[in-house]
Amino acid sequence: MFGIEISGVNIYGSVSTAVMTVGLWKLFEKCGQKGWWALIPGGRYLKLGECAGREKDGRICMVLELGVLLGEILSGILDIASRATERIALLLALGSLVFLIIQWIQEIKVYNGLCSTFAMGKRWIFAWILAPFIPACLWGFGERYKPVNLGRTADEDHLAGTKPAELKAGSAGAHGGEIPAESLVIRLKERTVNDFFKKRYLLKDISLTIPNGSMTMLLGGSGSGKTTFVNAITGYEKADAVMLLNGRDIYKEYEQMKYRIGFVPQQPLLRMNDTVNRTLEDAAALRLPTSVRPAEMKERVRNVMDTLGLTAGQHGLVSKKSGGMKKRISIGMELISDPDLFILDEPDSGLDGVIARELFTRLREVADQGKIVITITHTPDRVIDLFDYVIVLARDSGRVGRLAFFGSPAEARSFFGKNTMEEIVMAINRREEGGEGRADEFVEKYAALRDDTETAEKDGSAVKEAAEDEC
Amino acid sequence: MNAELQTGVDYTRLHYRGRISQIGIYLGKLIRMFVYQSDWKVLPMAALIAGLVTFAVGANLYKTQEGTLQGSFALVCVCIWNGFFNSIQVICRERPIIKREHRAGMHITSYIAAHMIYQMILCILQTSIMLAVCMLMKLKLPYEGLVTPWFLTDLFITLFLITYSADMLSLAISALVRNTTTAMTVMPFVLIFQLLFSGGLVVLTGTALKLTDFTIAKWGLKGLCTLGNYNARPMVALWNTIFKFRDLELLGYKPIGMIMDEIQNRDMLDEVLLASGQYNQNAAYVYTAENLTGCWIRLIGIGALFAVISVVLLEFVDRDRR
Repeated sequence: MFGIEISGVNIYGSVSTAVMTVGLWKLFEKCGQKGWWALIPGGRYLKLGECAGREKDGRICMVLELGVLLGEILSGILDIASRATERIALLLALGSLVFLIIQWIQEIKVYNGLCSTFAMGKRWIFAWILAPFIPACLWGFGERYKPVNLGRTADEDHLAGTKPAELKAGSAGAHGGEIPAESLVIRLKERTVNDFFKKRYLLKDISLTIPNGSMTMLLGGSGSGKTTFVNAITGYEKADAVMLLNGRDIYKEYEQMKYRIGFVPQQPLLRMNDTVNRTLEDAAALRLPTSVRPAEMKERVRNVMDTLGLTAGQHGLVSKKSGGMKKRISIGMELISDPDLFILDEPDSGLDGVIARELFTRLREVADQGKIVITITHTPDRVIDLFDYVIVLARDSGRVGRLAFFGSPAEARSFFGKNTMEEIVMAINRREEGGEGRADEFVEKYAALRDDTETAEKDGSAVKEAAEDEC
Repeated sequence: MNAELQTGVDYTRLHYRGRISQIGIYLGKLIRMFVYQSDWKVLPMAALIAGLVTFAVGANLYKTQEGTLQGSFALVCVCIWNGFFNSIQVICRERPIIKREHRAGMHITSYIAAHMIYQMILCILQTSIMLAVCMLMKLKLPYEGLVTPWFLTDLFITLFLITYSADMLSLAISALVRNTTTAMTVMPFVLIFQLLFSGGLVVLTGTALKLTDFTIAKWGLKGLCTLGNYNARPMVALWNTIFKFRDLELLGYKPIGMIMDEIQNRDMLDEVLLASGQYNQNAAYVYTAENLTGCWIRLIGIGALFAVISVVLLEFVDRDRR
């Protein structure tokens, strides 16, 4: 059956491809995609990936299929052109084989996602691999095969039915109370990486809302995922999550939102052989909209330099400045665009107590202007009085970064039963790091507390609605 | 403060610096680096190397076939060396900064374009210095150009294109590697590949010969030899080799010595050397404007290719681990 050929044409191959194309056409339409994508080699995988909620895998499949196709064409041309090029043709064929194997692996991922979308058993994956035209036709034309998890997005999956729109002002916050319109809403289900085809979790289940005008400290031991977390918030390393800043989705509107987010890295990443004022002027030119006039831009640079105490040495080279000054320049580069969300990764590392305190006081002033400031620090107690909230991330026994607490510093002391922030960090740190190894305990305790709060809120709302109905 | 900087505005309507505008920002930065970071040191270095090469191989350059080939090869080496050193570290040394700026709205194309312009200026200066040194050391050059009316202009363009395409190759390496140590480790290997596969001094066959098409050295050497009218130069290697056998005795005579003496006595040496040159024609170095412009186009193509590769490689800078 597989080998039937008429005039050199493989009948089975041609018929199965044609049937599959028709099936995929209908399947795409069911998923709200354009059916004609089924006709395009490579393109069909792209759309199949979208239907399966596996866009990335679909894209890889598309590239690989095109690669295999190109390899086959080149092999054919070389074969016709000359027998002397046999070695090159063989090399191309080997390359195609490698592509094909990787493509199969990616296809399995896509088919797996497709099974989830159509709520079908995983055994269908075999059918998709061995004879894809059968499931394509069945799922495309069959009435009982419907995509039930279509458009699977992070919010739907991980916010228990809460859509992003509902996360805007007026909806219930994860940490109790109404979500203010001007706030940072974080709903992170997971942040994973692939290690040799194995999914490894870096962060899991972090849900909180930070109002504007607040300063938040991010605490956690080494490897708890603090930097990964802030990278996920900024959209720089996207997670399976929804991040809303003042009602706007950071991930979906990243190109615009990236200018509203300031991120100061741990190391002051500056060109040492440039002057302070030119460094800030260039940062302003890069980060400010074109509608800002040059005079206004210069004024803004001057203001930032005044705010951060950089005016005196503005014409000097960055390399000649002290560590504290370099930190301030680094902060100034981000502050210049007046971001709504300002994240700093250990801005006080290498600074003495007085200078660090002064730096945080200036950051408090920034927060008081209605901005959200989130700071990672390893010396929390000297400046904790300046902060409104504390986020505690802990690395659980599965080596995954989890939320162990979010609330005010006073609530944190009470929750952990500790007097200082450093003691809190010690409590969640692993024993081999000299800590108490109680991360799992606090993660579970906080999760239970959060569930209780949400249940109480729902009950309260139900009682309130019932009372209103009775009235 | 500008109203658009305040919250509550429609961010989607805001526009930020485009690619062209960003080129200006980064070009300004690079020019300041040139002054403050002592990047100007590459200029006296170019003069020094040019001086050494002129001293060593300048005497026979564009006089004999061997001198032309060796001198051209030396000039190609100098150009590739200069190009490599100009940009081998420029990207990798500030990779974390690029990553930070990329997330703040920097366009990689603008960044590379700024480097391309800056490196072009640097290469023009280096080539000018090289030629000035050659002139100062009284290197005798032909007058007539092949593409332009002046030989010096053609030579300048050829040397510049070799330097610039090597510079772009080096820029691509700098965009590929993560730090300066790796860059400086990789560089010698690429340099050896360039020189070995130039197809000039080392005789290559088969697949190895095909590889020469991908080297800057091949097209540079071909360009310089074409420009120097290699095929019209006398060949001295044959005479020098035969000269070693002048005392060879056959039947009580020294026939080779006798013939050589006769040639010299009749003042026919130049004629013989030219004639031997005629029997040592190299089709690759045929003295036509098309041949030279073909080399220029290939050098430009190689430079452009590596510039594109630099952009593509640097687009992945976000994936760098901490």
